Amino acid sequence: MDILFAALLLVLAGGLAPLALHRWLSAAKVAHVSLVAAGCLTGLYGVYAAWGQSTPVLFSCPWLHSLTWSLSLDSLATAFLPPIFLLAPVIALYSYDYLDAVEHAWRTAVNHFFFSLLVAAMVLVTLADNMAAFALAWELMSLSSYALVLYDYEREETQRAAHLYLLFTQTGALLVFAAFGLLAQSTGSLAFAQIQLAPQAAKTAAFFLALIGFGSKAGVFPLHIWLPHAHPAAPSHVSALMSGVMIKMGVYGILRLYFLLNDFNPLFARTVLVLGMVSGVLGVVYALSKREIKRLLAYSSIENIGVIFIGCGLGMVGLSSGNRIMAAFGFAGGLLHVLNHALFKSLLFMGAGAILHTVGARKMDQLGGLMKTMPVTGRTFLAGSVAISGLPPFNGFVSEFLIYYAAFQGLGLQGPDFLLSMAAIIALALIGGLAAGCFTKVVGIVFLGEPRREHAHAATDPGPTMGAAMTLLAVACLGIGLWPEPFIRFAFAGLRDLAPLAAVSADVLGAVPHNLAVIARVFVGLLLALTALRRLLYRGKPVSQNTTWGCGFTQATSRIQYTGASYSLSIVDFHRPFIKTTTKFAALVRIFPGATQYSRKVEDLAEIGLHRLLVRPVLKIADKLRWIQHGHIQLYIGYIVFTIAALLLVV
Amino acid sequence: MINSIDLILVLILLAVLLSLGSSRMMALIKIMALQGAMVSLVPIFIEPQARLSNGGILFFQLMLLIKAVLIPGLLYMALNRIAIKREVEPLIGYHASLLVGLGLVMLSAYITRRMGLSLPGDYALLLITAITTTGGGLFLMMSRTKAITQVIGYLMLENGIYLVGTALTKHTHNIYLVEFGVLLDLLAGVMIMGIILHNINRAFDDVDTAYLEQLKD
Amino acid sequence: MESVVSFGLALLLAPLFPGVILKTKALFAGKQGPPLLIKYFTLIKLLRKGSVYSASTTFVFRLGPLISCAAAIMALLFFPFAGTAPLIAFHGDVIMVFYLLGLGRFFTIVAALDTASPFEGMGAAREAFFSTLAEAAIFVVLILFFRMNGALSLAAYFSGSQPISIIGSQGALLLLVIVALFMILLTENSRVPVDDPATHLELTMIHEVMILDHSGPDLALIELGAFYKLFFYASFIACLIKPPPLADPVANTLLFYGVIMLLYMVVGVVESIMARLKMDLVPKYILTAFALVFFAVILTLEIV
Repeated sequence: MDILFAALLLVLAGGLAPLALHRWLSAAKVAHVSLVAAGCLTGLYGVYAAWGQSTPVLFSCPWLHSLTWSLSLDSLATAFLPPIFLLAPVIALYSYDYLDAVEHAWRTAVNHFFFSLLVAAMVLVTLADNMAAFALAWELMSLSSYALVLYDYEREETQRAAHLYLLFTQTGALLVFAAFGLLAQSTGSLAFAQIQLAPQAAKTAAFFLALIGFGSKAGVFPLHIWLPHAHPAAPSHVSALMSGVMIKMGVYGILRLYFLLNDFNPLFARTVLVLGMVSGVLGVVYALSKREIKRLLAYSSIENIGVIFIGCGLGMVGLSSGNRIMAAFGFAGGLLHVLNHALFKSLLFMGAGAILHTVGARKMDQLGGLMKTMPVTGRTFLAGSVAISGLPPFNGFVSEFLIYYAAFQGLGLQGPDFLLSMAAIIALALIGGLAAGCFTKVVGIVFLGEPRREHAHAATDPGPTMGAAMTLLAVACLGIGLWPEPFIRFAFAGLRDLAPLAAVSADVLGAVPHNLAVIARVFVGLLLALTALRRLLYRGKPVSQNTTWGCGFTQATSRIQYTGASYSLSIVDFHRPFIKTTTKFAALVRIFPGATQYSRKVEDLAEIGLHRLLVRPVLKIADKLRWIQHGHIQLYIGYIVFTIAALLLVV
Repeated sequence: MINSIDLILVLILLAVLLSLGSSRMMALIKIMALQGAMVSLVPIFIEPQARLSNGGILFFQLMLLIKAVLIPGLLYMALNRIAIKREVEPLIGYHASLLVGLGLVMLSAYITRRMGLSLPGDYALLLITAITTTGGGLFLMMSRTKAITQVIGYLMLENGIYLVGTALTKHTHNIYLVEFGVLLDLLAGVMIMGIILHNINRAFDDVDTAYLEQLKD
Repeated sequence: MESVVSFGLALLLAPLFPGVILKTKALFAGKQGPPLLIKYFTLIKLLRKGSVYSASTTFVFRLGPLISCAAAIMALLFFPFAGTAPLIAFHGDVIMVFYLLGLGRFFTIVAALDTASPFEGMGAAREAFFSTLAEAAIFVVLILFFRMNGALSLAAYFSGSQPISIIGSQGALLLLVIVALFMILLTENSRVPVDDPATHLELTMIHEVMILDHSGPDLALIELGAFYKLFFYASFIACLIKPPPLADPVANTLLFYGVIMLLYMVVGVVESIMARLKMDLVPKYILTAFALVFFAVILTLEIV
């Protein structure tokens, strides 16, 4: 634990140093990157050191006389800490070249400060061992990320997005704290260890309250509304950290509470599983329909959170039905997907950031052909796209395979659990296919083909630290795919300290990791062999260049290329009841038609629902209550007096 | 090898699914003919052969004739005579209809299990088929615009009810009389509908039931 | 050793059978048709040529054929041809196989988009859409098979104490599956009711339009990959309808390839008597296959 404290101090120092050094921007940035990196490496060492110990490491100290501040490092925390410690230095490295505006030196320093604060807060959230510590860390995390989103605070769009985010995160926190309050009231203690003593009704209520709260942080389907607004507004390295790492804290919260409750109610399991399937499938369908890269990536995060939820939900179903193997594979798949998604989603956000930084265009249909002008970004983005589509030999496949494995185990169950397992498999297959469709769209439209607008010609690869960060992550994605054994064992080790799963050791794994590794390597070997064969076949053959065959049409311009909207049109239309599209198109009427316009808008069903069911009624009520506010300060004081008197009388 | 009754029931269910997914009137009628034939065969395979009397066999032959030949034939005639457009024109799309069909099968499997009826033998599949067919018929009536598809939906509904009857009753012959009555009702219904179709077609030049709304005052 | 031989035989013979389809279609049309070995001749012809690349393309375009061919070969590695044990088999390998085929598709699509041609984009969009639906249908087949004998591996499906076969105890259900798998085979391999490999109008194509710009050995690799993929699906169905294995391995192999020949002939017959579906009816077609299998799964709830 001491090592982790040292790590936290280093990370926080990495946040404070830029504030002091902001007059010398480069020095500030170097200090930030090196201190954060040093802190995170120390933290990784600390996690590694604690891994070998069979009992959780505990720490507690009194705080403000009445509260205790207690932390613990058990196996679940060790599973969630590495993504934080691995990604933070890489993202900090990326931000070195990304935040290069000299005129914004102070702003950059503040951004670095909150970045460090967010990293430290996330570490504390995973370490917290009582409600007070958790709540404090959780709030710290929410507020520092809110400040990070507000980087471009002059822009109105950013302000709106940040406020929306604050609203969601605070409402979520409110519900989580309400759940804690319920539990604390019934057990009379703030300690996590006492939670399992709570009565059944309190447990159920607390779980669902917390599920909504944590779910809104994680971005599960009907609660995801802040994500697609906050990510495009935030700077890309912040999106990478928030989408790659921070939203996983919601998953962590649910898992932590689920195991603390020690109540394997099938209702919890089925709810989580169904939420996972809904947000997985709808997330990717909405992602397909989006035109801005970062918004698309935000929806794809919702999809991946869905996949993680499917894994965890299958694990919970396994626990509630007594199928331990299914439980172990489900949870392990979910945990590994947390790490994997952190890697490739950060990579993709970095790629999107690189495009924004050098080209400045957000819409995909204005880009094209960037693979030639931005080779590093293009290649790493391609690797990330294959990985996020869950295709071998990259890392996304490994975790999805574990989840599939759990789901197939669930087919041996009876009744609704069987049906849910079956639905989970179909949902995973659909998600896999749709995600491949979605990311072929991004890669194909943005990086391949010909530039669609002039400014896309001028693109160049971004600065060296950005390229290095992206390359590191791409290599990590392929590395986990080719050497999955240690990582699968890492995910299973995350379940070690969880009482119901303690009996299931890594034996159930059998040869699974080995087989995955062998196939991935055989495939890569075969690919290399074929490449060599192809080179041999082309020796001495005439190879020439020409324009693309236009099927007889010779006046092709770059504007006749398929756009992202047309690429995804039929898939999106197929899911129509769940996705609302409005098309505006003036039909051609005359023989020589003039200029016409076509526009297509996709609205989020959850947003419409929220507006209709919550915002509008609340506004209506607020409208009716307007008479309360009439500007006389004396009356306001009177309100206060009355309220206090009433409270004193009643309570 | 799977026993023949299950095979027949599977075919009936398939007919329900296919009818929900078919876009052509002609195909729909052919599917109905197949379903009718299969439905009328069910009692023969449920009943142990030895207990079938001559009268019973006659009834089955009649039923087969009506369900598989006469009614589809009438529908076919109606279709040709009034020159209805070949397209089905659904209110709820084919994809959604197919998925609804699957949902119906699952729902009826669930209902059958929940009811836990003590059926003669292990004919759980029979009840599933019956409920699905009934539901499919209702759905077809609900989700298609043309009057002739309403008739087809009604036919399917009747097939389902007939199957429920076979599933739930002991097979004594007086029951057949009741069912025969139902069949006759149905036949009359089809004829009347045929005439109505004819009239609607003459009057409004279309057989969309939406036009029936214009009749209200 | 036996496994290596059967795998090699499959690699060698796969290009023969598409010739059977062509022959069947020609016979239906009252023509003599190309020789049976036509596909081998095509491959040799392509391998001897050079290539012309579009100036729009990048390395992704050259990667497409390599990966799609490698993925198809990988799929064959797992398959127990004529009952001989495959080279690789483990619990869960089917998931791997279909995801590898998915990888091949990913790169075919990306390579098509690399050409900046609107036609190829059109084909790519269709491929992405239809294959997603087909993949869902395939996974329902896997669910059904898992319900039937608890296996999750191509080799284990067709061996062991309860091999999945039409002559087994659940033949009626398998009838549905075979029909559905045949429909999926036609979809995934761009055969007639979904896609017409013989048409010359680029607007109506799916797979052929995506590979318009490939030439020479690259095109040969794509064609080879397509043959292997088709052979994989055909073998899958052949294993389901094959009569019980004979004692003699040679006779067994002959029987297996006989069944496959028959299947390819059926494909040829279907192509001769059916027209291509309207593009917007294709999803319904695939969903019908999906419904058939899903339906079979629901029935196992009661019958098993």
